[in-house]
Amino acid sequence: MPARHRIRTLFALSAATILLLAACKGAEPQNLLVLEWSGYEAEDFWTDFKSDNADAPVTFEFGISDADILAKMEAGSQADLFHFYSGWQQFYVDGGLVQEIDTSKLTNWDKVPDSFKEQGQVNGKQYFLPWDWGFTSILYNTDEVAEVTSWDALFNVDYAGHVSMWNDGPAAVTVSAYVNGWDETGITADQLAQIEQAWIAQKPLNAFYWSGEYEDLCPAVEDGTVWVAYAWQGCYAQALYDGIPVAYATPSEGRNSWIGFYGISSKTDSYELALKFLDAKLADLTMNNVVTQFYYGAANQDVMNAIEDEVLIEAFGINDPTILEHTNFTPPVTAEQRSAWTEMWARVQAE
Amino acid sequence: MLGRRGTLPVLVGPPLVWLALLFVAPLILIVAFSLRPEAGVVSAGEPWNPSLVQYGKVVGTPAFLRLLGVSALMALGVAVVATMLAYPVAYFLAFRARARATLFLALLLVPFAASYLLRIMAWKLLLGPAGAVNSLLSAAGLIGEPLDLLLYSRGAVVITLIYVWIPFASLPILASLQRIERSQLEAAADLGAGPWTRFLRVTLPLSLPGALAAFFMVFIPTVGEYVTPTLIGGTGGIMYGNLIQDFFGRAGNWPLGAALAMVMLILTVIGVLVALRAVDLRRVAP
Amino acid sequence: MTTRRTHRLRHGDSAIGVGRTRLPLGTFYVAVLALLYLPITVLFVFSFSANSRLSFPIEGFTFDQYAGVLADPSLLGAARNSLVVAAAAATAATVLGTLVAIATMRFRFRGRTALLGLAVLPLIVPFAVMGVAIFLLLVTLGIPKSLLTVALGHTVIALPYATLIVLARISGLDPALEDAAMDLGASYPMALRRVVLPLMRTALIASWLTSFVVSFDEVALAVFLVGGEPTFPVMLYGRLRFGGQLPELIAMAVLLMLITVGLTLLALRLRRSPA
Repeated sequence: MPARHRIRTLFALSAATILLLAACKGAEPQNLLVLEWSGYEAEDFWTDFKSDNADAPVTFEFGISDADILAKMEAGSQADLFHFYSGWQQFYVDGGLVQEIDTSKLTNWDKVPDSFKEQGQVNGKQYFLPWDWGFTSILYNTDEVAEVTSWDALFNVDYAGHVSMWNDGPAAVTVSAYVNGWDETGITADQLAQIEQAWIAQKPLNAFYWSGEYEDLCPAVEDGTVWVAYAWQGCYAQALYDGIPVAYATPSEGRNSWIGFYGISSKTDSYELALKFLDAKLADLTMNNVVTQFYYGAANQDVMNAIEDEVLIEAFGINDPTILEHTNFTPPVTAEQRSAWTEMWARVQAE
Repeated sequence: MLGRRGTLPVLVGPPLVWLALLFVAPLILIVAFSLRPEAGVVSAGEPWNPSLVQYGKVVGTPAFLRLLGVSALMALGVAVVATMLAYPVAYFLAFRARARATLFLALLLVPFAASYLLRIMAWKLLLGPAGAVNSLLSAAGLIGEPLDLLLYSRGAVVITLIYVWIPFASLPILASLQRIERSQLEAAADLGAGPWTRFLRVTLPLSLPGALAAFFMVFIPTVGEYVTPTLIGGTGGIMYGNLIQDFFGRAGNWPLGAALAMVMLILTVIGVLVALRAVDLRRVAP
Repeated sequence: MTTRRTHRLRHGDSAIGVGRTRLPLGTFYVAVLALLYLPITVLFVFSFSANSRLSFPIEGFTFDQYAGVLADPSLLGAARNSLVVAAAAATAATVLGTLVAIATMRFRFRGRTALLGLAVLPLIVPFAVMGVAIFLLLVTLGIPKSLLTVALGHTVIALPYATLIVLARISGLDPALEDAAMDLGASYPMALRRVVLPLMRTALIASWLTSFVVSFDEVALAVFLVGGEPTFPVMLYGRLRFGGQLPELIAMAVLLMLITVGLTLLALRLRRSPA
């Protein structure tokens, strides 16, 4: 082919691709836009809504972290609904980004335990709908590690080289608060300095700080690199399924629990449809898919009570209700606290 | 008919507009963000008083600057070794692969279309304590304890980065080797130059601009690298780029992240300019 | 006494640089290639295994993962999005990079160094920062996010690679070539197209492929610019948050790589022109 034809082809090709791309985003008669973590857009996780409202298209916008999702909402995302995790409730309320949920219109609301409902309230109003939840605790290899009864196992020098902490500042502060018996929401500058020193000293004990449950933590727990880890219950369930000798501690300080919430944007013009979507989100089939596919807990207690899978019963501590009673829900923190904690963690990492 | 001079606006226009709109303008917004005094993710529209608070945090934290220095040294090592190792690859493609050069080149690049994350997970499977390498070694009775040399350390990050960069570093070198005319080497041969002399006197100098381009193409982005240290660096192998990534990602502190990025950008640009002045490209390039 | 020996280059002496000092360059190339393909081979093997995790031993042979991929429209959609975005970004970056390279190597003008510096400067800006920066611009201008915005962002981060690769090639081409073409009556753009570009064929392909892979596996920038339709890396990182999704994702990644190999070979075959 002569060169000029190639170049012309090249230009034509690029023009065509750009037109194609432009066309891709063209027609969007969207009724509901959900700002969501990627993975939840699969129909299994809104199947009840789909079957009742086949004519109402749902589209998704994606976020990768709570900070990212908040940033997108603050930047004026058109999303009608958004999904985020514990600790960030206050920001949405303070920023006027969310509106109260009319729970009287939710047929599945009664299936949600009160303790979860309370976590979704700010200033006495139900701004958020609790949906998925899980534990954080110490996951450990029972062949290598004696029974773990406290969060301080992460600081035990006997396990040097085989510990793994989550790469997250606020999580580090939470663990330190448990170990020291401090109030997590009232950490002083002095306490934060102590926390920083403790984690700097703990640093060499880690094989690595993990960043993704299934990307780096779980494989390392399963191949024997990691013996003691800050972990969510999903990795515990997976290790159990794979026959790895692991246990999930119930520390004397209590486990930590986190909840995923949905909020309705204050700017939505489809409030009623958003309510329908949330109600369907709580329905049994949808919630059951979350439990069986993601190993996440469901806010629908009927679904939790109906679990028969031995591993999941163990992972969610369903046979021992005291676990959930003694758990510490991740509390909301202020922007100042959050930035102080993340900056502390950056210094620990850089050290 | 369009002459030489008339063509210039056509050549310069599109890239300039593109860069102004999609690089310079966004960069200005980042600079503006780095001047925000308050941390946290802030909505773009709110007014604020510019301040150097964030830069104060960067400069006032020795650990940050030390990590930047370490990252720059790592990048330097990676760039030097990757360029040196890429040279024979480029040489092979330029002079030995002949008609199949393009195919062989494509073979080098196509693996990068497979997710880096998944490829690293596969490496971990091979190199981890229960992995193939350790199983083989211990089955052969060569080692008692599993080796964990190649994972979770600064050395592992450097080795992996070199490995990843070799194919890309070979491209500018290849491009510059292709400019060498057979006649130039024949002339050298006629003057009695042996193969090594020909290489050192003719081939190498003529390919130096490509080697330099390769060096900078590796060095500059490696200073801010974060993926590889996250995946295999362990706690000791973290790089400066990880701090930036965290502040723009999970930590959600864009102003401090922006200040960290700007400090890196400015220092790296200064470093590169100083290096270029010392090398003096124009003396290298004929 | 020393005799001066003349080293004649025989026809077909391929190692024109080193002459008969036959270094095992081919072996070295193959070794590099082997190391690059080793992890991919592992992924390939696992994509046909019944394992739910990436761990030994391999448990049985199955096509389930591929069947799962084909039955997952959102995964296939994401894969298609990635291919389209990467192709568009690679094309745009190569065109722009070539323009920058020609302008800066063939002309003396004010701001010449500045233009080159500007085209290479995105190298030093981490992808996440670039992503947030362009995101802020889109918000400021009220432009909705889409695959187009991802492609535009990827063009910026691929441009330095394209520029450097093409630049390294063009710096060695004798400007007299264009002059000769123009003496024969060609306009300058035509001289570039007919004479210069064909000589840069390998460099252009290298630039396009590099830009393609830079975009294809990029996630840090994409997450800030993607709209309702995710690219494959964005979906991959999202789905890896959950157990049980890994095997299908591996199969998809292997499939994508094979598609890329296929398309590349096809393109090379179609474009093979008599030297």
